[in-house]
Amino acid sequence: MEFNKTWQDMLEQLKTWARVNSPWAIHFNSGSCNGCDIEILATLTPRYDMERFGLKLQGSPRHADVLICTGPVTRQARDRLIRIYEQMPDPKFVIAVGSCALSGGAFQGCYNILGGIDQVLPVDVYVPGCPPRPEAIIDGVVKLLEQLKAGYQPAARRSGVLRPVPVPVTDAG
Amino acid sequence: MTAEREPFRIPIGPQHPSLKEPGHFEFSVDGEIVTQASLRLGYVHRGIEKGAEQRSWVQALYLLERVCGICSHVHATAYCLGVEKLAGVEAPPRAQAIRSLVAELERIHSHLLWLGVAAHEAGFDMLFMHSWRDRETVMNLLEGITGNRVNYSANLLGGVKCDIDQRLADAIRAGLDYLEERTQHYLDVVLNDALFLRRTRGIGVMSREDAERLGVVGPTARASGVARDVRVDAPYAAYRTLPVQIVTEMAGDLQARFIVRVRELFETYRLIRTLLDTLPEGELTVRIPRRIPPGEAISRVEAPRGELFYYLKSNGSDQPERIKIRTPTLPNFASVLVLTVGRQLADVPMILAGIDPCFSCNDRMVAIHDTGEGRDRRWTWEQLRQHGIEVYR
Amino acid sequence: MLKAAARLLQRWTQATVTPEPERLDVTLDAADLVPAVAALQEARWGYLAAITGVDLGPEAGEIELLYHFCAGAAVVTLRVRTPRNQAFVPSICDSVPSASFYERELMEMLGVTVANTPNTDRLFLPDDWPQEVYPLRKDFRLEDAPLPGSDT
Repeated sequence: MEFNKTWQDMLEQLKTWARVNSPWAIHFNSGSCNGCDIEILATLTPRYDMERFGLKLQGSPRHADVLICTGPVTRQARDRLIRIYEQMPDPKFVIAVGSCALSGGAFQGCYNILGGIDQVLPVDVYVPGCPPRPEAIIDGVVKLLEQLKAGYQPAARRSGVLRPVPVPVTDAG
Repeated sequence: MTAEREPFRIPIGPQHPSLKEPGHFEFSVDGEIVTQASLRLGYVHRGIEKGAEQRSWVQALYLLERVCGICSHVHATAYCLGVEKLAGVEAPPRAQAIRSLVAELERIHSHLLWLGVAAHEAGFDMLFMHSWRDRETVMNLLEGITGNRVNYSANLLGGVKCDIDQRLADAIRAGLDYLEERTQHYLDVVLNDALFLRRTRGIGVMSREDAERLGVVGPTARASGVARDVRVDAPYAAYRTLPVQIVTEMAGDLQARFIVRVRELFETYRLIRTLLDTLPEGELTVRIPRRIPPGEAISRVEAPRGELFYYLKSNGSDQPERIKIRTPTLPNFASVLVLTVGRQLADVPMILAGIDPCFSCNDRMVAIHDTGEGRDRRWTWEQLRQHGIEVYR
Repeated sequence: MLKAAARLLQRWTQATVTPEPERLDVTLDAADLVPAVAALQEARWGYLAAITGVDLGPEAGEIELLYHFCAGAAVVTLRVRTPRNQAFVPSICDSVPSASFYERELMEMLGVTVANTPNTDRLFLPDDWPQEVYPLRKDFRLEDAPLPGSDT
């Protein structure tokens, strides 16, 4: 038994090591004004170069560990957001970028706005700002990676109840 | 055998990694050829027009600035000019000049951003990285002037909130010198790079008649020889005393759209230098009443993507009665739906990127119907982009 | 330019106003909209810049539709009124194909029926948006469109 547990631990450690060194991310805009999106793109480009932390922006949710969300959640984008989240393999982490993703921001009270990302998904890291500077986005990512090293469990797993409403999963992108 | 074959539909989107914005397109294809295209927006529709009616005139400024993070300043400018018209006041000349100056810097940032994204669609990631590196120069300048990289909030009702001093002016001139040199290189790539030409020359051709009929605006129209630019047609802010040269191309293909935008950059550099040399002295703001007199105003400004149209209606209270925003991307989308029909599926990403679409401005996935096989294919934008790159490999 | 437009539209004009030097507002009957727009298009006068729908409120009981045409600095606005409870205008897509987007917007945002428009799908509003709730009407309340999170 003891022997097995050690193996289990080592396997977990190995997985964490791999995850921390190459987290793949997917980006979804659920109703943002673009301001945060262009700043996320800017963090990938030579001046800020987020890839030095191993973070790679990935096209498919099935390959992603981290979901980077921008914007308030609109009614129309809500199901898509949940579907993308459901398609991601476990464990998965959510980073909400920008004031709107945190609370709805300037769009609070508009008829097509549900509020911040945490109305729909369990969020692990909040990055405030309108839009956050690229440095702030990198800081958010690095904080997540440091927490992962320290054995952090994703928000979804900790709360247990916050499973999003299931939607039929198809091959939709 | 059925008499009529079911169309093969390929829905694409709404989440596509490269455009960074959601929108749903549906294309019907016969083999590789697109036979029909349709568009469904609304993924980033936030209800801003209604939201503005529930806010005060001043609060609405900050909401409208967030219609779009790329061209936030032009939205604020169009709104401010409209409200000032209604209130019967005019911002001081120095404020007008600074408005135009920030608008032109924003045009640089937007065109370089677009050049990078369009290059990425074509699979030229090197060019993407280069143009975005150079874009940081202008981002620094914008931050220096206004204190923020995006959503600058430079405008106030009745003026601007930031001034240009000598130190900033020198920094802007130095930045422009560097950008001008780099833009020369981009023009060379756009005009001569063999790989680039294969993806752009003769693709997505829009004739002058079509451009006029479809009512396209901005660089998309100017690449088809339609000399349409609000800065010239109906000058506003500092453009009333600052002549702008319209850059047009006759070819109407994708390459022409690249050339127009890159050449426009040179014109923008010239405008900024002139603005700095002739910056009028004086106040930055005028007082504007909290309640705006009843009336209607139409405000048109030239956004980086083309004509931005605002209709404002006041009922005399401290809240707007109605604000209508017509962004340049909407008429340009109509052109994409027409242009892609009859073209190869592989060209779709580039044609779409060619109009420099701005989804959040409008609201906004891609679906493809195949008339040949009668099945639905669902593609992500990334798959379509890869398809385009593979075909031209 | 404005004079030329005024001449073209003369047959259908009910009233004109010039609120600003480069603007001309022409009031028309909804039935005359199609020939008036066709006349502008045939003369190649400008392009359709936007269609704005303004709800004048439950008391006035009308919706005003503004068809803005731009040519250079000149802006001609065709103003058409239609009763609020039976809002109806003909489609101008035959002469201006790009009007389709604006007409779809009118239908979903203000509940104006646009006859013979080629596409009646929703453009902006979500698929689960309740029927006959139009957000840009003045009497729209947020409660009319419950948020999906609250019912699931």
